[in-house]
Amino acid sequence: MPGVRREQQLSQLRERIAGIEKRPPLASAPAVPQGERPGRYGALLNPPGGLLHEIYADQQRDGGAAFGFALGLARGLLSPARPAVLFLQLAHEGKEMGLPYGPGLKSFGFSPEQLIVARLANPVDLLWAVEEATACRAVAAVVAEMLGEPKALDFTASRRLSLRAASGGASVLLLRYGQGRAASAARLRWRISPASSQAPPFDTAAPGQPRWQVELEKGRLGPGLMQAGIGFLLDWTGDGFEPVGTAGTSGDGGLSRPAPSGAPPAVLGDRLSQAG
Amino acid sequence: MLHLPCWATDCLKRADPALAALRLPLALYEKQKGAMRLVELDERARLAGLYAGQSLSDARALCPALQVREINRPVLEAIFGDFADWHSYASPLVAVLTDEAAYGDLVLDITGVSHLFGGEQAMLEAVTGRLKNLGFAVSGAIADSIGAAWALAHFDPGRIASGDVREVLAPLPVSALRLGEDQIEGLTRLGLKRIGQLYGRNRQSLTARFGASLVLRLDQSLGHIEERLKPRLPPAEHFAERRFAEPIGLLDDVLMTAHDLALRLSHALEREGMGAQSFHLFLYRVDHKVMTLTVNAARATRDAGHIARLFAHRSERLGAEYDAGFGIDMIRLGASLLSPLAPAQIGAFETQDGTADLDRLYDRLASRLGGGAVTRIKFVNSHIPEQAARFESVIAKTPDDALALPDAARPRPLRLLPQPEPIEVAMAEVPDGPPQGMVWRRVYYRFVKAAGPERIAPEWWNAEAVPAATRRLDDGAHETRLETFDPGLTTRDYFLAENEAGQRFWLFREGFYAPNATPAWFLHGVFA
Repeated sequence: MPGVRREQQLSQLRERIAGIEKRPPLASAPAVPQGERPGRYGALLNPPGGLLHEIYADQQRDGGAAFGFALGLARGLLSPARPAVLFLQLAHEGKEMGLPYGPGLKSFGFSPEQLIVARLANPVDLLWAVEEATACRAVAAVVAEMLGEPKALDFTASRRLSLRAASGGASVLLLRYGQGRAASAARLRWRISPASSQAPPFDTAAPGQPRWQVELEKGRLGPGLMQAGIGFLLDWTGDGFEPVGTAGTSGDGGLSRPAPSGAPPAVLGDRLSQAG
Repeated sequence: MLHLPCWATDCLKRADPALAALRLPLALYEKQKGAMRLVELDERARLAGLYAGQSLSDARALCPALQVREINRPVLEAIFGDFADWHSYASPLVAVLTDEAAYGDLVLDITGVSHLFGGEQAMLEAVTGRLKNLGFAVSGAIADSIGAAWALAHFDPGRIASGDVREVLAPLPVSALRLGEDQIEGLTRLGLKRIGQLYGRNRQSLTARFGASLVLRLDQSLGHIEERLKPRLPPAEHFAERRFAEPIGLLDDVLMTAHDLALRLSHALEREGMGAQSFHLFLYRVDHKVMTLTVNAARATRDAGHIARLFAHRSERLGAEYDAGFGIDMIRLGASLLSPLAPAQIGAFETQDGTADLDRLYDRLASRLGGGAVTRIKFVNSHIPEQAARFESVIAKTPDDALALPDAARPRPLRLLPQPEPIEVAMAEVPDGPPQGMVWRRVYYRFVKAAGPERIAPEWWNAEAVPAATRRLDDGAHETRLETFDPGLTTRDYFLAENEAGQRFWLFREGFYAPNATPAWFLHGVFA
């Protein structure tokens, strides 16, 4: 009995702190239905909205992988009430990193009409646009890419973004590159790098679905799950993330994957979701 | 109708107070057929007996104290344009009448606005009085037609003619009809010196002798034929304005006023069940200049808070351009591109699809960042990868082409480089196969997996494609291909290649495989 009371007190305290900090209480985030799959990566596949993420890739050459991972996270946040994802990029950096390509989004499994691309002149405008977009009720996520260490993006700015994201309900995903980790108020920091993909069964010499080496460097997702500092491999199924080792072995493990938060809009029902 | 006979010299004097302080005759000259001739004179020069067209040396001999400047017509015309815009404080429809001269004649359509000034007489006095205080020589008149007002302003200033102008115009000289020199001369030779003498003449013979323009001008002046003016500023179908007893200067004050005006405008629009897509804020400065700020909305709106926010964002882009000068004494907010907007039910039955929220977001972003910065992906019906999708401004959407939707089964990169970048490749294992590695941006990548080729041929059915391709062959520009990518239309074979680190690239070989040639390879995009 005393154990139960302590649990209740703890959860009440957690909620109070979350209220003070304007953060959604992670512990009570909608959990993955138990029993359908091993719950270890459940929260990762379904992170709650309203968080500031930082997604670090070691080099700029991994820009494609970082963008794909961010789109995968953002896709899980889409819902009929929040049908849009914004991608913000500095105009001159876009020329170097490449611009989002509509047919590519489609073959990746992200509906291109749900992505709005904004190309901006300077980091200050970019941060302003992130804040402005987070305040909008219809935006699911804002993906912002910044190379290097722009002066405008200091701790204060990231704290602002974090609070904005918490009050607006849209997630902010900052794409960063390099080894350095500047101080930031991000709730979650991912470090990702591309990983050698599993060849499709019909052609052993061909690349398969995207695969990432993912490490959650900072933050925690779900109670007792996804502790910081644990690396793992993640596959993209075209319709959601799939931890390597749970899907490949069980044959149809990829099909028992939980639904993304909120029903995906009808346009998302492409061939891959039909496969299930 | 306002006529400013000495506008050019008055304007110079205002710009250069030292010149005005001299109180000497001033004239502007222009080089005409090798001679310096006077073209603009002020009041003092006229009184001294000088006239337009006189040679400069004659004028100097007659009036040794004469100050002269060379005329700069384009500048004067531009300044007069701003000057004309400023007059929209009195009426939203202002035009410059360029029949006689490029500057000097202003037309204001005062239909329905004169009561704001307490009647036509009071309005004429207010407008001309204000200009006179500023040091401009001005004469004005009000009439039902532009022609009649022009004639009165030039030859009978201060007159207000309403209704039938036949009697009023009859005693005026024929030159009041805006005729050409030769027409006036011909009429005078025949003894037709007054407009009244033209009434009742045989129109056919007048046309035969003096051209159709004479009869046209006569009809226009008498109001038989409607003459339209070309307003300089975008005509605002709805507007709200505020005048200030004391000029204001701070941008914050301007934006606050814009918010108040937006409230009034939105009430007016709501009464008519309309919304607007384009809003213009006119700031009238004391020193007769107008600043215009325009914002556009993705969908028709009449939400005052939203409109005010758009102007606030737009003004942040203004920066140093904002210059209140000696102050702003009137602000007008106009709306154009109106369309019906049904009253919306707020609350109970609201649908939550978020499109309205998104459109507002796009408006806010576009008003600060510029319309071209915020884009959506628009598909184009083309097989050429770089042409298959382009970015389109979200506030100027065009309908989607159902045929252009891409096939999700084809591998396409998440990020496409704006220009395919030349790469050096390690030779392919099989002649037509994927390369074993590449050097891109000075780094070597060794491929372990590859898929392809996917052959994309030029669109021969596209008429423009064929001449471009042949021209390219004629030029024989094959040597330069490694340096820059030529979007000339050759067949490409695309490969998807992955290196041992898992980075995946989309690269292509340009042209067909040939046994002894070194083909050019390009990197076009990266995958997730």
